Amino acid sequence: MMTARFLPVAMVVTVFALTFLATFRLGGGWVWDIGNGLGFLAVAGLAIQMFPAARTGIRQRHELLGYWVLALAFAHGFWLLAVDGVVRFYLMPGAPFYMWAGLVALIVLSALALMSHMPERRHWHKSRAAFRRLHRALSVGVIAATGLHVTLSGFYLSRGYQVALFVLLLGTAALAPWWMAPGRPARALQAPVAVFLSCGGLAGVLFVLIRNAAP
Amino acid sequence: MKPVLATLFLAGLAMVLFRMPWTDPEASRSVRFPGEEPVLAMTFHHNAHFTVACATCHHEFVDGTTGPPCINCHVTDPTVAHRLETQFHTLCRDCHAELASDGETSGPTRRCIACHLPDNAF
Repeated sequence: MMTARFLPVAMVVTVFALTFLATFRLGGGWVWDIGNGLGFLAVAGLAIQMFPAARTGIRQRHELLGYWVLALAFAHGFWLLAVDGVVRFYLMPGAPFYMWAGLVALIVLSALALMSHMPERRHWHKSRAAFRRLHRALSVGVIAATGLHVTLSGFYLSRGYQVALFVLLLGTAALAPWWMAPGRPARALQAPVAVFLSCGGLAGVLFVLIRNAAP
Repeated sequence: MKPVLATLFLAGLAMVLFRMPWTDPEASRSVRFPGEEPVLAMTFHHNAHFTVACATCHHEFVDGTTGPPCINCHVTDPTVAHRLETQFHTLCRDCHAELASDGETSGPTRRCIACHLPDNAF
């Protein structure tokens, strides 16, 4: 089984590398690339959260990484709303579908965090099995909505093969609980949050620098 | 957890409904150009587009002749007005993005406010 340290690094590198496959010089300007770098880091975190692994006794890591992913998703939205006075009109009636998909992903992700938090979790779910079923279903929904948000906005992933690889990556992650642990109750990977944040921070800085400062 | 999430969503809603004080007050949807539909402010620098064939924008596809500024028909003609945003994003942004990805000087690629300026100069 995949090691806990390898997965966050591999996922972050893969997600950011996909954006550079076709148009590595293409940027949206410093402030836009910072905002979208936060978004891509949230996408990588979401994908990591889907991978199961043997329980190591530190249950809180999945939960803690979940809060970081949620924080990154909010930061992505707040940042772009704050730095560009036009963005808010793309969250009003008449906005393109991919913006609604992004908003739905954020709302469902927030609901996931809320309904998984102890001790309130017992209030929402009758049993652990029921919790796990709903948690996985909603997680797949978040991944799907996020995928639509990223691919239909069509900027960093502007070529068909980039979109295909991105969908393949998210699909692999979304179905990981089933293909990695068939027939057994899978547990979320105990991904070290520090590893995710440190390599994610580095990838995000490179994402912005290459697009804006490269000669 | 509930209060934190509620605060974040309310803050987000406020940012959508109310303009941030440091952003341009005219960056908004209103009736502009000779049309009735509210549209975002837009700008266009003719001097920066001399390498683009005139008919790319000044076109009349019905008879193939050149015509008035593109914005006129695309705001007023109900057969194309509902596609204004998609058409102009494709025409302007995609061209800018292609130039930028080739490492050439280009217009704005992603930053909305860079094109949606309130001078409406066409």
